[in-house]
Amino acid sequence: MKRLLIIFITLTAAFAGVKAQSVAKDLQADPNRAAGMFYALPIGKMPKDTPAPAGKRPFYINHYGCPGSYYLDKKEYYTDTYATFAKADSLGKLTKLGKDVFRRIKLLCQDAQDRDGELTPIGAQQSRDMVKQLVERYPDMFTPDGYYSVRSIVENRCIMTMQEGLLQLSAMHHPIIARSKASLQENRFMCPEDKILTSQRTDSLTLLHYNRFVSLNSSDNRLMQSLFNDPFYVVSSIDVPKLARQLFILAGNVQHANVKNKVTLWDIFTQNEIHQHWRKQNAWHYINYGGCTLNGGYQAYLQRSTLRNMMHMGDSVLKRYSPLMHLRYTNEQVIMSMACLMELNDYGLHTDNLDSLEAYGWANYRIAPLGGSIIMIHYRANHDDPDVLVKVLLNGEEARLPIKTDCAPYYHWKDVKRYYLRKIYRYENRRFSHKKR
Amino acid sequence: MNTKIKYTLLLILAVGSCKLSVAQSVIDLIKQRPSYASCNYDVYPDSITAKLTPAPAGKKPFYISHYGRHGSRYISNRSGFDTPYYMMLHADSLDELTPTGQQVLQHMNNIMRNTEGRWGELTGYGKQQMQKIGRRMAERFPEVFHPGANVTCISTVVPRCIESMGSAAMEMLQVCPQLHITMQASKRTQWYMNYQDKKLRKSYMTPEAQKALDAYTTTRMGNTRLMELIFKNPDIAEEFVNQEDFSYYLMKMGLFQLNTNFNRNTHLIGLFNTNDLYRMWQVDNAYWYLQHGACKLNGGNQPYTQRHLLKKMIADADSCIKLPDPGAQLRFGHETVLLPLVCLIGVNGFDFSTDNLDELEGHGWWCSSVFPMASNLQFIFYRSNPKDKDVLVKVLLNEVEATLPISTDCAPYYHWSDFRQYCLNKLAAYKQ
Repeated sequence: MKRLLIIFITLTAAFAGVKAQSVAKDLQADPNRAAGMFYALPIGKMPKDTPAPAGKRPFYINHYGCPGSYYLDKKEYYTDTYATFAKADSLGKLTKLGKDVFRRIKLLCQDAQDRDGELTPIGAQQSRDMVKQLVERYPDMFTPDGYYSVRSIVENRCIMTMQEGLLQLSAMHHPIIARSKASLQENRFMCPEDKILTSQRTDSLTLLHYNRFVSLNSSDNRLMQSLFNDPFYVVSSIDVPKLARQLFILAGNVQHANVKNKVTLWDIFTQNEIHQHWRKQNAWHYINYGGCTLNGGYQAYLQRSTLRNMMHMGDSVLKRYSPLMHLRYTNEQVIMSMACLMELNDYGLHTDNLDSLEAYGWANYRIAPLGGSIIMIHYRANHDDPDVLVKVLLNGEEARLPIKTDCAPYYHWKDVKRYYLRKIYRYENRRFSHKKR
Repeated sequence: MNTKIKYTLLLILAVGSCKLSVAQSVIDLIKQRPSYASCNYDVYPDSITAKLTPAPAGKKPFYISHYGRHGSRYISNRSGFDTPYYMMLHADSLDELTPTGQQVLQHMNNIMRNTEGRWGELTGYGKQQMQKIGRRMAERFPEVFHPGANVTCISTVVPRCIESMGSAAMEMLQVCPQLHITMQASKRTQWYMNYQDKKLRKSYMTPEAQKALDAYTTTRMGNTRLMELIFKNPDIAEEFVNQEDFSYYLMKMGLFQLNTNFNRNTHLIGLFNTNDLYRMWQVDNAYWYLQHGACKLNGGNQPYTQRHLLKKMIADADSCIKLPDPGAQLRFGHETVLLPLVCLIGVNGFDFSTDNLDELEGHGWWCSSVFPMASNLQFIFYRSNPKDKDVLVKVLLNEVEATLPISTDCAPYYHWSDFRQYCLNKLAAYKQ
């Protein structure tokens, strides 16, 4: 028994080691991934499709998408950081590197001025690219009798993402029958609210764990020493964790800026520091949007009405004869929680150990980067085919569902629907049942 | 002597009847299309059939500069609907509604329910308007909208404008899929796309203007017939129903419904006769004139709120003319920009300046003709080749050829250099 346990532990450790290395490798290959949910999904890479079982053809696409890459909502990331450096500069406290970083921040500030929250040209391209790929990958969906219903939440960058996608569709499909809408009326399934659930996100116990995790993953002294020439000034006048975090956020957002070819901020961090900062962000996202058991493990259920809508739509389109596509553009947090709730690629992970996320492969940039999406594609042989199959694409790539199937990555719609609806109802029953257990 | 008096009388009669005929025609318009009475809530004329005058020999369109308002929308905030709605609810709670009043309240309940959560949203109808405008523009000027042409679209940061931009652009791609379209909605362009000059905007209601407006509106507001129709005891209801506000906002609520095609409820419009609508139009028209026209009662400078936009459009045109194939620049914004812009430039005589509000109608200063939902101003630039120095420009107001306040030898085409100079002189005349 003991031996078994030892083997098990060694195996787990080895397994964890492999995965952890892969995040490190990911970040080394492209430090922009450290931006996490602000990582811009690369453009132009066409994923491969596993051929559908014989005779099955797509007839319905149900898409939920993040906005494309955009400028930070909070301009304070730019202006506060700028102010900190400007003050230090005026007092002669900047090193040579510090001065250069100040210059770069100035450029970033100028680039982002009056653009808070705005979709970038890269974001526009991402959106067009996604639609282009859909049209090219699933030509059966784009017949003259196809109908395309497009929705966005009332958030400018999402509306812009929607409109860019529509432009691409319109350029590739003639004549087109498409309807679009951006209305607060549809928030109930596009971007639902659940105040009770969100109020439980960061209870004191969770915060305690998180803060401990943060302090274990913080070492900003080297960075400060490299930027400021006076340790006393750093201690007395600078909020070190805040500044380090701001610089890290800015470094991750350079990839969206127009000046991205002229400027980088990754060089001021060591590989290890980048990894540490990412780890903190990743844990924070896991706590807020994932299945972290510290706060109960239910945060992803915030998106239950979105998932339920997905299931009900799947049923209500069965009687259609012509292809239908729903494109819905919402916040990246919605996609993040959806992916966790749907347990795509095991991202439904439940744990209270923030250190283990990497080992399990739970990495924010893999789940909901900007320009990312969850797309469910429904297949059948003909209108009366009782065995509808579905396939889910996460950020364009075929995803694994937590459901048994004989034709992965295709799943039987009946199984999928049963699994997810039961999952939702189980939760709601537990939460809203009047019976005392 | 006698003949002189006769002549004078004849002249007065002639002028009078002339005025009458003009007034008649606004009434006619309202009879045909009640929404015309709601001014900025007016629905864009659905079918534009106006023929375009061929360009002088050899001249071809090569660049389009445009400013357009978003398409039909839901009312932007609830206060306009809440005003009559709360009055009705109040009356209902006191059992003061007649059976007709009860029906009216039911319709209002429906409208409120359908509008909830949609304040300011572009309606499906609005999207159609924008699509049709985009399609017509691309089809009318294929020389500009040719494969590979650059089309730069800019919108204010208001969602309905972004959606309007997207709808128009999308339809253009249906006409010519190879267009190179870019879209932008940024705070960075607000300084000219949606500039509301605080100093000017705050100062439009001078004491003189207020006095003139009051004198003009007193005889036109109110509706005792409506009060008697809806309230059991109109005199008691007056305790909590302001007759003027009630009638005015109820009319607006009814007419607003013409902007939607989903759950449209037009029952309220039937409560009003053409004369009611016409009086409301007069009041609104005078009010819009004070706000955005060159009204002498407040210094006549209100149109200058759009000086930045006009300057930018001239600068854009200057740089685009230098290019061999500049394409089109489309801007999507609001009526409170378009109306003063039209007045500033003096399109179709809208630079009319007076201190007498009674003159507006006779002089054709009808705001509904300028800024219905989806209204637009298009400058079409012509030349025979990129080296041609004599660039001509034609203005389309709501897709119909319009006049400019300068002379030309080839109307409706104007020489760009003349028009440019005219605008620059006009801009230079403004002292802040």
